[in-house]
Amino acid sequence: MRLEKCWFCSSTVYPGHGIQFVRNDAKIFRFCRSKCHKNFKMKRNPRKVKWTKAYRRVHGKDMTQDSTFEFERKRNRPERYDRNLAETVLKAIPKIDKIRVTREERHHKNRMKGKKEKLQKEAAKELEQSISLVKAPSALQKDPSLTLPQKIKVSVSQRQSEDNNAMEE
Amino acid sequence: MVQYNFKKITVVPNGKDFVDIILSRTQRQTPTVVHKGYAISRLRQFYMRKVKYTQQNFHDKLSTIIDEFPRLDDIHPFYGDLLHVLYNKDHYKLALGQINTARNLIGKIAKDYVKLLKYGDSLYRCKCLKVAALGRMCTVLKRVGPSLAYLEQVRQHMARLPSIDPNTRTILICGYPNVGKSSFINKITRADVDVQPYAFTTKSLFVGHTDYKYLRYQVIDTPGILDRPFEDRNIIEMCSITALAHLRAAILFFLDISGSCGYTIAQQAALFHSIKSLFMNKPLIIVCNKTDLQPLDGISEEDMKLVMEMKSEALKTVIGQGGEATSDDSVLLTMSTLTEDGVISVKNAACERLLDQRVEVKMKSKKINDCLNRFHVAIPKPRDQKERPPCIPQAVLEAKAKEAAEKEKRKTEKDLENENGGAGVYSMNLRKHYILANDEWKEDILPEILDGHNVYDFIDPDILQRVEELEREEGIRQAEEENDEFEIDGAELTPEQQAALAEIRKKKSLLIQEHRIKKSNAESRPTVPRKFDKDKQYTSERMGRQLSSLGLDPSLAIQRMRSRSVSRRGRKRDRSPEGADGGDRMDVDGDTPGKKQRLSRSRSRSRSVSRPPHEVVPGEGLKDSAQKIKAIKLAKKSVKKRNKQARRGEADRVIPTLRPKHLFSGKRSTGKTDRR
Repeated sequence: MRLEKCWFCSSTVYPGHGIQFVRNDAKIFRFCRSKCHKNFKMKRNPRKVKWTKAYRRVHGKDMTQDSTFEFERKRNRPERYDRNLAETVLKAIPKIDKIRVTREERHHKNRMKGKKEKLQKEAAKELEQSISLVKAPSALQKDPSLTLPQKIKVSVSQRQSEDNNAMEE
Repeated sequence: MVQYNFKKITVVPNGKDFVDIILSRTQRQTPTVVHKGYAISRLRQFYMRKVKYTQQNFHDKLSTIIDEFPRLDDIHPFYGDLLHVLYNKDHYKLALGQINTARNLIGKIAKDYVKLLKYGDSLYRCKCLKVAALGRMCTVLKRVGPSLAYLEQVRQHMARLPSIDPNTRTILICGYPNVGKSSFINKITRADVDVQPYAFTTKSLFVGHTDYKYLRYQVIDTPGILDRPFEDRNIIEMCSITALAHLRAAILFFLDISGSCGYTIAQQAALFHSIKSLFMNKPLIIVCNKTDLQPLDGISEEDMKLVMEMKSEALKTVIGQGGEATSDDSVLLTMSTLTEDGVISVKNAACERLLDQRVEVKMKSKKINDCLNRFHVAIPKPRDQKERPPCIPQAVLEAKAKEAAEKEKRKTEKDLENENGGAGVYSMNLRKHYILANDEWKEDILPEILDGHNVYDFIDPDILQRVEELEREEGIRQAEEENDEFEIDGAELTPEQQAALAEIRKKKSLLIQEHRIKKSNAESRPTVPRKFDKDKQYTSERMGRQLSSLGLDPSLAIQRMRSRSVSRRGRKRDRSPEGADGGDRMDVDGDTPGKKQRLSRSRSRSRSVSRPPHEVVPGEGLKDSAQKIKAIKLAKKSVKKRNKQARRGEADRVIPTLRPKHLFSGKRSTGKTDRR
């Protein structure tokens, strides 16, 4: 029993899931669900379909080369069973996993590094350019800070309000 | 070989079917359309073609029948005699002869009618000629019908005859009924012949095959023969007699010593002597069967004498062959098919004798040189007289002996399985013979999957070392990361600035939304100038709010707006109740406002006022309230009659076409059209 990788999206296919397609040249394509299978039948290139791992690797969103990937390799020659070795392997697998995860996080962080600065610059520019939408130029002259103007209270007398009604009606 | 074609003879149709087949084929394969107006030559040709085509087909089919059925004189005499016995040679020949004559007759008919057709002068006459020709041909065939039926029966039976090769090594089994011939053949071959306690269970020849010294032998089981004069024999016995007569085979004459077949040894001996002429030049073995019931030594004196007589006869044949009168064991054998005692030795003896005889014959024949040329045994020339036997070292001999002993003592897995309940209950422990560094590990179970990974992909002898390296590396990287952790924070916006930015973004999104709504209902929105502001969007209050939110003082603007605005209605009247000139009023009690003003101002500050029907809304298109009232009255009057009579109005639902054609007609491409 083996866990396979989906050819399209590179997620793991557990036993009892998915479809396996064997082409006439004996190449086997495994799919984790019908979404991937249908995309394959439509002849879509997984490197161009945004949500697949292949795309993410090709476009540098996810880590591609790392020594943690070298640990998991399909070996065709079986090794003679050794209990101590088995123990170490079973203990090592979670450790390798953890390291791989941390490395991927680091990669992501590196990728996002300049984002904050960029956002701040954009915000500042937008504020400066569009301040006239919320602050009249004369108010800006009086108070050159890029903040909302103070609200001015307008005193309304009785008479004026009645007149207002008449006009509005 | 001819005998195998018996299965490949095509089916012979009966008379009616035959005629149907031919005529329908003519109908289909020749042109069918003809008109009176065609040229006469064309008409003649048309009908001649039909007649010739029919004749040709008859000829072909009848010829295949005649050719495929074997000619009794041309096949191996064994088969010739067998077919004669089964089907009567004369009847067979007659039937085939009749078919032949039918074929010739049909040919003649066709020729005659074609000649007549050459001079047909009208469509009708040609057609009649053609009908006559075809009719006569069919009558000929109908007459031949019984022969066809007979041939079909023969064919069916022939196809089921056992495929006996008359030229290969054959062993023939004969004897009285019920002596155990079929049981014997069941034992030595894979044939499955019926064995029953009544006589003549076997009614025809049966063939089985057996192997001896890498050669294949045919074993033929015959039906039992009774001791009768030749002429009285029935068909079944004749089959066996034919086989005996024509096949060059080793003969096993079966003798039932116990007499349980119902016939005494005397009777069986009598039979033997009456057919011993058929055993000429054939290796003969007398087989005494059913020794489990009665051993050979236990029979009576007379019977013993008879048996010895038969043995001497058999010996004669041996002497006649090659002059080796050594072992009489190979002439008289005992066995029992029930206990399988001696069966194999009988078979071996028979095969051996037959092989010897055949080899002898071959040696004497002219073909021997061809055979000899094919093989050559190379023997090294002896250098000197010294004997050099094969040398087997002592250790090997000992080991062989030990192995033999071990094989008997060792307990196999199969035995173990049988002990523990059999195949379905016990499954052997495959791990028992694993070769591991430590035997305790044999029953260990290693998980195949862990945390979404295949464990087998990770197994590596130096994984421990590599993991340590990896962790070290990771530690170093983490340390480096901590060192350059901080990011230069650019100038962050203050909270007020952030609020302003949020406001800006909100306003922008509102603008976009409004624009989208405007765009979507641009077609149906009325274009009314702003001064007729039906929804009261453009009020001074609103303007004031917006200006103040922008940071400007709106009071001046509002004042300016008020001073310029033109009140459309009731301004003069409105002023008076404010108490400016009380005396101008005509009303006595000057304080009570008029009805209209009361209504218009009753709840002005707190609630909105719904419009009275006569009030003219600017932008509607009416001049004054009187006009509007008239318009309303006209409208109501026009609808009154219709409503009173409960008739359909403009707002009532109308279905323009009750049964539009596109919904009620047309076939579906797949499926039924039950529902519309």
